[in-house]
Amino acid sequence: MAEITVAIDEVGADQLLDTAIGLIPPQVASGNGALGPFVASYSAAASFAPGNVDLIAPGTIRIEDFQLNWSLNFSFGIDLSTFLPDFCIPQVCINIPCVGKVCTPEICVDWPTISVPVSISDFLQVTADFGLSVTLSGGSWKVAAVVQGIPSLQFGLVSAALLVAISAALTPILLAVPFIGPFLAVAANAILLAIGIGGVTGLLGPMLTPFVSGLSIPIYNQPQTFEALPVGGPFDPAVFITLDSVGASITSDTEDELVLEVDIT
Amino acid sequence: MDTFDSRALGPTDTYGQRFMREGTYTYTVAPAGSGDLTSEFPYVIRVTNGKDDTMEQHTVVLRREDGALRPDPPQVEIKTGDLVSWACRQSGVQPYEVVGKDSFFSSGRLFNESGYAHAFGTPGTYIWTDSYGSGLSGAVHVVDPHCRTKDDIAKWQRRLKKGQLIMITGTKAEPTEVEIVVGQTVYFAVTKAPGVSISDRRMAETIPPWFGASERPGKRAQAAR
Repeated sequence: MAEITVAIDEVGADQLLDTAIGLIPPQVASGNGALGPFVASYSAAASFAPGNVDLIAPGTIRIEDFQLNWSLNFSFGIDLSTFLPDFCIPQVCINIPCVGKVCTPEICVDWPTISVPVSISDFLQVTADFGLSVTLSGGSWKVAAVVQGIPSLQFGLVSAALLVAISAALTPILLAVPFIGPFLAVAANAILLAIGIGGVTGLLGPMLTPFVSGLSIPIYNQPQTFEALPVGGPFDPAVFITLDSVGASITSDTEDELVLEVDIT
Repeated sequence: MDTFDSRALGPTDTYGQRFMREGTYTYTVAPAGSGDLTSEFPYVIRVTNGKDDTMEQHTVVLRREDGALRPDPPQVEIKTGDLVSWACRQSGVQPYEVVGKDSFFSSGRLFNESGYAHAFGTPGTYIWTDSYGSGLSGAVHVVDPHCRTKDDIAKWQRRLKKGQLIMITGTKAEPTEVEIVVGQTVYFAVTKAPGVSISDRRMAETIPPWFGASERPGKRAQAAR
């Protein structure tokens, strides 16, 4: 039997974890990812909003529908020559009065490589199971809820929104490409089809999943030895308490509770 | 790629010059705007007397070699009244001008019996003007062909074979406004002019000519007069 036992019920745990989640600073990441056949370089930021806590004995905290708010900036390059047919403006001949026929040589257009920057913000609702982690690190006991496994993120609506954002970013850039006019719709459709929902999900998954899969929610942080009572006089020294062990669990004897057990000297 | 300015030729431009008198005319190809600083004219147009009135066109292709544009062929033999056209169809080349030792012969400043053609790649209204301040101006309306089917595209491509002519005599253009579709070519035929440019107004206002609008370009022009 531990010398100190602290327990909170599901309502208390919900409040505790809401506060803890709210204190997690925004997470950032950058790198390269596959966007269908293209390579996108991205920077992403994510923050979290609380969900509903369900305590499951012996050691699982399930948080349902907590919110992953994310914003994403990425750009990718497209070699238009892979999507558009070879195109040449034919020789043009003009009859100039009193001079004669004058011709200009054929012009073959080299389709350029364009860069498409995209910005989008959205959110995902995630349900994930967290385990309890107790560590003594750097002279402090730390208890945290650490996500277990890799939660499955559902990108259904988000993927469609991102594809729309790519389309919106792409169109003005294509419009500025000389001679693309009649091929604009062809190019835009071909590029979006090449990316597809699969390409968008393929970018979002590896980019956003690490924000959740590495998530750790701090619950308790206490120096192993700390002053409990200050110096009271020349013959009354300060009183220090040392936490010899800390344990964390979920119990469900009468109701589901998050329990901390501490032995001290 | 789509700069519309006879002072700065690019892959969608063609410059033409007729040679009405016998003689040897030397020239060079220089980065746009630097022609007046040029003192070497290594390429040659040799003009001998033609016996009939028929005009023949000779095309000189410009290619990038060792960082510079070089004409192929570097030397052309023609008859009086013939037209020589210069065009570089390589993308990514620095804007250039064709600069003759004799000032009537310059893509940067068009005098008599010369021409400038530009294929327009982007829809919009292009107000053009003479950057040298003669008052010459006009407009080219470039419209999207709105192709929705393969047949539309085929029809558009056939239309590209047809150019639009604008005649420039003195400081007057005829017609002053034309409407074309994306990809079509406008040929500005200068029969007689005091030395003008065909410049997108935005370019003309942003980049005035080296010698200012009202001045003549130095001794090369004076020699021609």
